[in-house]
Amino acid sequence: MIRTLNFAFIVITSLVCLAVYRTAEQARVDQRALKTTQIAIVRETDALTVLGAEWARITQPARIQALTQRHLDLSDLPTVELSSLSQLPEKNPPLAAEGEIRNAKAVVPQVPAVSQIIPASEPRIQPARLPDASFASFRTGT
Amino acid sequence: MAKRPAVPSLVRNRIAFAALFSAACFGIIAARLIDVMVFGATSTGTVVTLAHPMRADLVDRNGVLIARDLPVSDLYATPSAFWDTNEAAEELAAATGAEKGHLKQIFAAKRGYILVQRGLTPDRRDAVMHLGLPGLVFEEGYKRYYPSGRIVAHAVGQVDTDDHGVSGLELGLETRLRGARDAAPVQLSLDMRIQYVLEHEIEEAAHSFKTKAAGGIVLNVRTGEVLALASMPDYEPNMRKLQAGDSIRNRMTQDVYELGSIFKIFAFTEAIEEQTIRLDEPFEVGKPFKLGHYYIHDFERLGPSLPAAMVFADSSNIGTAQIEMRSGPAKQKPFLKKLGLLDPLKTELPEVASPLYPRHWEVVEAATIGYGHGISVNPLGFVAAAAAVVNGGTTIRPTFLKNDTVQHGERMISEETSRTMRQLLRLVVTDGTGKLADVPGYDVGGKTGTAEKAENGSYAHHLLISSFCGVFPIGDPQYLVFIMLDEPHGNKQSGGFATGGATAAPAVGHTIAKIAPLLGLHRTDTFAAANP
Repeated sequence: MIRTLNFAFIVITSLVCLAVYRTAEQARVDQRALKTTQIAIVRETDALTVLGAEWARITQPARIQALTQRHLDLSDLPTVELSSLSQLPEKNPPLAAEGEIRNAKAVVPQVPAVSQIIPASEPRIQPARLPDASFASFRTGT
Repeated sequence: MAKRPAVPSLVRNRIAFAALFSAACFGIIAARLIDVMVFGATSTGTVVTLAHPMRADLVDRNGVLIARDLPVSDLYATPSAFWDTNEAAEELAAATGAEKGHLKQIFAAKRGYILVQRGLTPDRRDAVMHLGLPGLVFEEGYKRYYPSGRIVAHAVGQVDTDDHGVSGLELGLETRLRGARDAAPVQLSLDMRIQYVLEHEIEEAAHSFKTKAAGGIVLNVRTGEVLALASMPDYEPNMRKLQAGDSIRNRMTQDVYELGSIFKIFAFTEAIEEQTIRLDEPFEVGKPFKLGHYYIHDFERLGPSLPAAMVFADSSNIGTAQIEMRSGPAKQKPFLKKLGLLDPLKTELPEVASPLYPRHWEVVEAATIGYGHGISVNPLGFVAAAAAVVNGGTTIRPTFLKNDTVQHGERMISEETSRTMRQLLRLVVTDGTGKLADVPGYDVGGKTGTAEKAENGSYAHHLLISSFCGVFPIGDPQYLVFIMLDEPHGNKQSGGFATGGATAAPAVGHTIAKIAPLLGLHRTDTFAAANP
């Protein structure tokens, strides 16, 4: 019994040792990856810091004005303010909901055949009266 | 049942010992496993800590970068590790920008640990690392960088090699800048757009009138925020050494000046507040005014008499002296003290000069101080007091930190007096000495100042301090623009005059014309003309 137990303990100990070694090795690998990532973060942060300062330098008004004077036909004139957003009139409210306008259908009333309005016996005159009904549906609000 | 043979006690003890030993090992392993898996291991490996700048960024009121710590590296080398020191010197010179001849010389002459180049930027550090040379060591650090260079040098100041503030806001905000652990930038009240316009106009005026020095301030009269502060000559804050003609002296705070007629603002404010004059009351200005042993003169003859309002508009010293004498020194001194003109200004800038004023303040001194001689103040202190006159009558404390809330300081004068003073300031621009500061549509009010500088115990007529203090829109003032020129010389453009009205006033007008749209102010005439 004791021998069996001892054997079992030895096997378990060996397995646990292997597991601990594997865990430690995995931790070491992960730590190296973490270190690499942290260095990369530091480098990127540094690069962003430098780029931010560089952007501030190249966009300063004095430099922009010097470039403008050198390369563009612009002159340093006083600003003329013609209007401002706050002084513009407000937009009129819509006449109808947007959905209604998009889905609107122009229903053209059925125009009776000319032969039904004007008997064949009568002379075919006054055609100008007919389109009134047809155009009525297009007279929407403005 | 067969009886088991007795186990010798020695063997039993060994078995027990082995069992205990095994149990102890298991216990240790189990404890370590629990420690690793449950509580987390305390690593014994190398941990990279993210490097943080020592100082926080400085940004303007719109978030534009003004100052930042940039990551840099100092490169050191051990020449004995190089295969060929000449080749290494050439490669390092190309990668770092160091002087090739110097590197060859020190590599050949010195042993041990040698500084190759300070302040390498990350891209140059990478270039050096790609060389693959042995014996190189980088020391990481930070260097303060000012992207705007000279534009805002005097207000922002500088740091030393250890990144400690030594001047300007870098020194005044030292605790705040170094204490910002979360790296949050410190937002200033300065507006780099306004700062550039002010610098540009001052530079133009200084060049045009061949001045010795010049300076200017743009202040929000309600919140006390300084939007721009310029002083010339200036300097390049990114360089350790000053170039020829440069100056680190901030003339807007570190120097005190007798500002001349611009000080009449306070004489009239006091007189109106105490109701010692009526604005239509005539004053004799036709001949020099005798005061004790002295005669007070005007710049030009203004006629036999002028109403009080025109005494201000035409800037008569004779009339102002008479008006100031009605209040007298007993009232004048406490009034100026209440305005803060007799005490050192308290602001975030550490370089602030104390005002100079006469120890014995009698009638003669009161009269001369009334028109701005005999008292010297720094320009920032002056604009703070002037702001209190026009903003409705309450004091403000100038600040360089962004703060949009209106300051409600101590009440100095009534709102009615403030309103009357605004009308008088507008009169100066429409009918007086400040016509060249007018900007149609923005209702500029202001006051000119031309002071003679003291030289060898007397005033020199040819050495002037010319200034103009403009306020706009005068109906409901929001901003104050002050420009001062030190020893300007008249030119063809100014008709040969070097007075404040001929030199500083147009510079203020140009500045207001450019910054008012940037500040979101609308012209008052455009729509009035279009929609009568």
